[in-house]
Amino acid sequence: MNTFIAWLRRISTSFIPVALMGIFMLGSLWLLSAATENSAQFGRLHLVLVVINILGLIVLTGLIGVSLLRLIHQYRRSATGSRLTARLVLIFVVMAVTPVSIVFYFSLGFMQQGIDSWFDVRIDSAMTEALELSKSALDMRMRDKLKESRELARQLQQTDDGTLLFRLNELREKSGASELLVAEANGRVIASSSADPSTIIPSLPDEAVLQQARDNKFYIGLAPLRDQGLHTRVAISLEQTDAASEARILIALYPVSERISQMAESVQAAYTKYKELVYLREPLKQTFAFTLFLILLVTLLSAVWAAFFFAQRLVAPIRILAIGTRAVAAGNYHKKLPVTSSDELGSLVQSFSEMTQRIAEAQDQVMRSQRQADRERAYLRAVLGRLSSGVMTLDRDLTVRAVNAAASHILGVNLDCSAGRKLSKLEVDFPEVAQFVQTLLPHLNETETDWREEVSLYGSGGHKIVTCHGTRLPGMEGIPAGYVVVLEDVTELVQAQRDAAWGEVARRLAHEIKNPLTPIQLSAERLRRKYLGRMDAKDAEVLDRSTHTIVQQVQALKEMVQAFSEYARTPQIQLRALSLGELIREVLDLYRGYGTQVSFRFEEQQNLPPVEADPGRLRQLLHNLIRNAIDALAGRGDAQIRITLASRKEGSKGFVELAIEDNGQGIPDDMLDKLFEPYATTKPRGTGLGLAVVKRIVEEHMGSLFAENTPAGARVVVSLPALEQPADNVTQLHPGQAKGR
Amino acid sequence: MLAQTRHSPHLTRPLRHGGRLLGWLCALLICVAPVPTMAQSFSVEDARTTLEDGVYRLDAHLNFDLPKKVLEALDNGVPLTFALDIEVHRPRRYLWDDSIASLEQRTTLQYFALSDQYLLRNLNSGFEASYSTLASALRALGDIRGLPIIDAKLLRPGKHYMVSIRSYLDLESLPVPLRMRGYISRDWWLTSGWYSWDLGMS
Repeated sequence: MNTFIAWLRRISTSFIPVALMGIFMLGSLWLLSAATENSAQFGRLHLVLVVINILGLIVLTGLIGVSLLRLIHQYRRSATGSRLTARLVLIFVVMAVTPVSIVFYFSLGFMQQGIDSWFDVRIDSAMTEALELSKSALDMRMRDKLKESRELARQLQQTDDGTLLFRLNELREKSGASELLVAEANGRVIASSSADPSTIIPSLPDEAVLQQARDNKFYIGLAPLRDQGLHTRVAISLEQTDAASEARILIALYPVSERISQMAESVQAAYTKYKELVYLREPLKQTFAFTLFLILLVTLLSAVWAAFFFAQRLVAPIRILAIGTRAVAAGNYHKKLPVTSSDELGSLVQSFSEMTQRIAEAQDQVMRSQRQADRERAYLRAVLGRLSSGVMTLDRDLTVRAVNAAASHILGVNLDCSAGRKLSKLEVDFPEVAQFVQTLLPHLNETETDWREEVSLYGSGGHKIVTCHGTRLPGMEGIPAGYVVVLEDVTELVQAQRDAAWGEVARRLAHEIKNPLTPIQLSAERLRRKYLGRMDAKDAEVLDRSTHTIVQQVQALKEMVQAFSEYARTPQIQLRALSLGELIREVLDLYRGYGTQVSFRFEEQQNLPPVEADPGRLRQLLHNLIRNAIDALAGRGDAQIRITLASRKEGSKGFVELAIEDNGQGIPDDMLDKLFEPYATTKPRGTGLGLAVVKRIVEEHMGSLFAENTPAGARVVVSLPALEQPADNVTQLHPGQAKGR
Repeated sequence: MLAQTRHSPHLTRPLRHGGRLLGWLCALLICVAPVPTMAQSFSVEDARTTLEDGVYRLDAHLNFDLPKKVLEALDNGVPLTFALDIEVHRPRRYLWDDSIASLEQRTTLQYFALSDQYLLRNLNSGFEASYSTLASALRALGDIRGLPIIDAKLLRPGKHYMVSIRSYLDLESLPVPLRMRGYISRDWWLTSGWYSWDLGMS
């Protein structure tokens, strides 16, 4: 079934089968009309032709049905071009059906009238009268013959069977009859005489004639004999001679004169033909009407089908264009459109295809360039991102254009979203960078092309020294003029230089000062021992006090030198995993028992990771920090030290953050940036190396630290890298170890 | 052809009358009138074959009863053609019958108003006869005597042969205007149906 429909569809869309079928249908219609007109040639074909045409109609109906169903389906789906096809089909159908129907209507009328006009009452009566005339002319002759026959019968009455044949011959010759015969009533011939010697078998009339002759004594009628023309047949019942014998009938055939016979035949033929025609009038009309109707149907259905066919052919390029336009609207420029015709619509499709191809090529080009640009930008960004130097670019009107990650890191604020903001706005949003912005602003002008500046920044990460190297960018093609600022964090470099200098100082100090101290002390003690007993009491007291002072001061000097040498020394640290909280508690226990006025508070976050550290060095760090805090709190009644321990994440790395906070008077601002340098002290006594040692220890452990003033007092924060491992591996510190220090 | 099933034992015999088939198709297609059933107005009253001088001859008596419509056409001078199909065939058990001989006799009947006579003309032999009444003409038409149908030499002894005859009104010979009416009206579908009997070989 599907293949049949596919076949129908195929033949309904190609031109040659359509044309062939049209010619075939036209031919069969012509033959049909010829057959209907009773042409001798096609008369026998009439039925075949009717059937062929009806089959043709069925095929046409099928084709139309398939086309219609398809169109309805497409219409319902709102397929492209279906509405236009439907409209065209409708127009074509109306254009074809209307005139054909009108022609059919009038043809039918004309045909009916034409057939009716053949017949006329006058012709009708003339024909009947002609027949009657012929009949009566013949009747007159027949009556003469009857009279003659009766005479013959009377003469035969007395003839006996022996002389009957002779008598018959004699009478036939005398009367001019072509045949005379005597038969019994049952049809048995007794004797016959014929004018034609070749006729051996007499032409015996049918039983009805014999019956009538027997009943009415006679019969008279016309007999059309084959090849012999019209004859008058008379049958007369012979009177019986005796009751026993069978009734006999004389049958005589008289030829009608040839002229009359011909005329009678002619009248009869015309009459018969006319009568047949009259009788066939209605069937003839019906047959003609049927043929005409068939022609109408074939024409109409062909027209309807042609409407479908041409509508689809016309709409095809438009449909293709619509599909193409939709594809282009959806952004698909690569759709290939088939060119189905060579007319204007076809060239339109062709042009459209070329146009979309051009657009597609242009778009591809744009996309390629875009991709190239993107790649280059991404590459540049990646390079900038991997730079350790911070880079910041600015417009001429001081709007930030780009900032790399290193810049954010160096400045200690997240500047990822700052692109497009004014530099002055940045200062408001991030107070931490105010110093930096203030440093930059004077240099960002048209006159200064290249400059260098160093800025100190204070932020959550502590004190930083940043060098800024600025360049003015001249405007280039496509790139507006602006400025580039390269930032470098030189804190560690400067610090390292300072540390190295201090280390050298400390080492030299220790070395140069320590050596003469012992002879000084020994000499002072020797002076005392030798001269104290010899002197008078007053002098002895002076000596005693002086030597005592010398020894004491030397001792103090020694301690100081010891501290310096300790600072200068780079000990071997032994790292191991340990819990910082444990260590802090251990150290605090020592201070609690020490009897100070200070109260300690220790807060620890739960589940802190361990750190990898040297416990001895860390203990030193804690002692230094706590002692420093205690010193800062000297003389305060409500002295309090708060130690907090928390974990912190910075990127992928974890830190443990130790903060020691006091409620003292805080650190003077001018000290804040040099707090951790050697000999930076505000205290009346001490070596000034406590916090420098702390810093050194923190650096040994790859940690960081900074100090800041809080509303209550001062705070020092130390961050140590956390060890990413379970807590049960942490070394438990036993008391003996702590005491050993 | 439906009537064939009533008398004929050979149902699968190939159809010989394409015209009839087309007529049926046509009738079905047009569907103007309900499909006509075959009128039983022709009948075979009696038929037999006799062997005479090595030739089988047919003697048969057929009745023709013409419906009013057909009579009307005849009286108006329309010639009617009667066909008589004669078949000699050998029945086979699993195949259609083997046709040995077939013969068609066609006779025209026409009325002539002047002489008030009915003329019968055998189209096969050209023999003509006129009758003063329709009844006698039809009687003469139905009276078949000694019609030779097959030479006994053509038949193999010991085999079983059947003869079937059928008479019908030939619609194809009607004037075209009447033909359409003939195909779709039961009044014109006149046939005797097949009448079969043993050839009676001795």
